[in-house]
Amino acid sequence: MIKFVDTTKIYSNGAVGVKNITLSIEKGEFVFVIGASGSGKSTFLKLIMHEETPTEGEVYVNGYSVHNMPRSEIPYLRRSLGVVFQDFRLLPNKTAYENVAFAMQIVEALPREIRRQVPLALGLVGLSKKAKAYPGQLSGGEQQRVVLARALVNNPAVLIADEPTGNLDPKTSLEIMDLLDEINQRGTTVIVATHEKSIVDAMKKRVIMLDRGELVSDVKRGQYTNED
Amino acid sequence: MKIRTLRLLTREGAANVYKNKLMSAASMVTITTTLFILGLVLLIIVNVITNLEAKKRDLQVKFYLRVEATRLEQEEVAIFIENCRATGVVTAYEYESREQAYENAKKNLQNESLMEGLTPDNFSEGYFVTLANPNDSDQFIAKLKLLSGVNPKWITYPKQELERITGIVRVFNYAAIFVLVVLMVISILLISNTIRLTVFARRKEIEIMKYVGANDWFIRFPFIIEGMIIGLLGALLAYLLTSQAYGWIVDGLNNLFSSIMITNLELMKFDQFAIRILVVNIIFGMTIGVIGSFMSVKKHLDV
Repeated sequence: MIKFVDTTKIYSNGAVGVKNITLSIEKGEFVFVIGASGSGKSTFLKLIMHEETPTEGEVYVNGYSVHNMPRSEIPYLRRSLGVVFQDFRLLPNKTAYENVAFAMQIVEALPREIRRQVPLALGLVGLSKKAKAYPGQLSGGEQQRVVLARALVNNPAVLIADEPTGNLDPKTSLEIMDLLDEINQRGTTVIVATHEKSIVDAMKKRVIMLDRGELVSDVKRGQYTNED
Repeated sequence: MKIRTLRLLTREGAANVYKNKLMSAASMVTITTTLFILGLVLLIIVNVITNLEAKKRDLQVKFYLRVEATRLEQEEVAIFIENCRATGVVTAYEYESREQAYENAKKNLQNESLMEGLTPDNFSEGYFVTLANPNDSDQFIAKLKLLSGVNPKWITYPKQELERITGIVRVFNYAAIFVLVVLMVISILLISNTIRLTVFARRKEIEIMKYVGANDWFIRFPFIIEGMIIGLLGALLAYLLTSQAYGWIVDGLNNLFSSIMITNLELMKFDQFAIRILVVNIIFGMTIGVIGSFMSVKKHLDV
């Protein structure tokens, strides 16, 4: 599903993103990527999304090889991923419904499909009643749910979340995590980068720990062992 | 891309014109201003060219028959000229008989003693011919020379003047093209600057679209529609302004020239160009809008 083969990313200013990472994530897994800031969590996710390209080694995502990928193929790779960001990244002048529908319009789904799928996705994240609200009218937790609905609506094989609870209070964070777990139960691979110890410890999932770009541990049913 | 997607994105672009009212207005004013200046400059150039072309048409081919031309030869020439008029090569001609030539000569000469011993028979018939197309003059003169009744030495045509006018017309034509190109470049720069601001304000949006997996055209298309609509509106506004301003200019010039006793100035009516100006405005306005959008979005697409 996702495979890193001796992958290294060094930025043009010399900063190390990730260094000699080799690992694979199978279909249906739930994986936490943890580490202090600057440990390479974001780079790890960016390499999957093709926001960055590796300087050495290879990254395979859903059958796409990220190395030397033609520009025109990138959108297709991204459509096979659902992405959730810490800062939500919703289109501000579209309603919750339109934001979710947008992800389907991009893949040129039939209007009939859009009318059917969008309410389902909003229902799944518990936001059916706020379909007509604009992002500015929603709380942080609600906005993150819209983002989740958007990420899910095209039934992606992989859901990637970069600090999805970074801007949320603990209670809402747990709700979002529950949702992610539920999504994972339905067969979607979920990859979450976070530095929130309590969440990682509570979920008991696979934990990949990075430190200064290097893979320091990869434990099934792991815990947040690194003390800052 | 599917038709329904294009329709969706077109609606999106149209809505954006309204949503970003201020930027739309700024871009529109830019386009309107350039097209307005362009329109006036072109109208002035067209006027100059038409006046020169009219002047060209007034240039006449003058030729005289040989004094000893026979009656048959005279008739041959008369028939030739009539034919030329029938086929449209010649728009009008004047005929001067021997008697008229004699009288004219007498009138023009101050000293009558010079005319002593001359009778109308010493003069020859003349023709003053206006050609439909001054560029046909060489061919026409060549044909005249084939007629035995025509005195080949007495065919005159103000060739130099024609060439000078043709030269001036050419210069004005080039000037028109030059002005067109320069204004087009300027307005593309201005417009792309304005749209760049819009795009910059919306770069986050573009970024999000990229992350969700939109391809370049999906993002670009609404901006291009936006540019197109703004260009179209700017073009229509410029058209209205041009027609008003041109009316005032023509009135002003006519008053000025009649007050200094020049009456043969032929200023064109705006109606004669209305359609052409409108078409040029729309084509230019929309092209400028589209190119401007294209250039400004380009930079932000690499995410």
